[in-house]
Amino acid sequence: MFTHARWAAGLALIAALAAGCGTGAGLYGTGAKPAATAHSAAPMPAATHHHHHHARPVHATVTTPPAPATAPAQTDNPIPQGNGGDQDADNNGGPSDGDGNI
Amino acid sequence: MITHTARRGRLILAAMTATAAIVVTVTAVTVSGRSLGHAFPQLHPAAAPANWRHLTLPNGTAVLSYPPSLRPISGDKVAVSAARLTARGAFQLYLNVTPRQGSEQLAQWPAFRLRLLRSDTAASARQVAAAQGVKFRGGTGSCVIDRYVTRIGGHHFQEIACLVVGRISASVIVAAAPAAAWTQARPLLLRAVAAYLIR
Repeated sequence: MFTHARWAAGLALIAALAAGCGTGAGLYGTGAKPAATAHSAAPMPAATHHHHHHARPVHATVTTPPAPATAPAQTDNPIPQGNGGDQDADNNGGPSDGDGNI
Repeated sequence: MITHTARRGRLILAAMTATAAIVVTVTAVTVSGRSLGHAFPQLHPAAAPANWRHLTLPNGTAVLSYPPSLRPISGDKVAVSAARLTARGAFQLYLNVTPRQGSEQLAQWPAFRLRLLRSDTAASARQVAAAQGVKFRGGTGSCVIDRYVTRIGGHHFQEIACLVVGRISASVIVAAAPAAAWTQARPLLLRAVAAYLIR
């Protein structure tokens, strides 16, 4: 009887272990997705066709995890954001275009 | 007593075996899922559906095809773009083609794109998948799928960005959507990329 009780306890431990692993896998997938609220604000498309290219140095950087919604200040970007410089959508919070920023 | 001890030993051995089997199985499933998530999708170059519209680069070297639910939007003089926006002006789908302007090379394209995003408009960017030797209509490309967060607004986008080299030109095609809507947007965006024509 005592052995059966230990056996049952062992099975319960195994089940708990398996459930924990499964939950971890699920969190990996869920955690990779950004919060939907991040898209509530509307990045506006470009308003004009004007575009001025600027020479820019290219800095090697390491991959970093997704940043919080509050964007940090950037010092190596010669094209001002906030609809400054060129007026592409990507300078107003929209998706980035394919220019080489030369 | 000996029988009881032997039986207990067998039970412990069985429990250890079961535990190992479960751990191996769960690990295999988890690792497999990550691999699938990082796999680059197959692109089959093909002309766009008949009802799609087309934008030709001002220099005439490439043609972007886009579905009727998108409309052209302004951008760089040398580029073409089409997008689907919400009523409030938020991007739902975005397509852009720009002639190669910088030092982009096929072999270094994924790293170049991520570096450019980080140094230009993104607070952060990370690669999801990449592929070399991707066949296009009229050329060959190097592609990267990545996620980034814009500095302005903190918007999360996912994109497929390809540097495509044709016979006489090279250009970049970008197909992007909000990261949260990527799963729904992906088939159409990949269709547009697969229909890209370069000369």
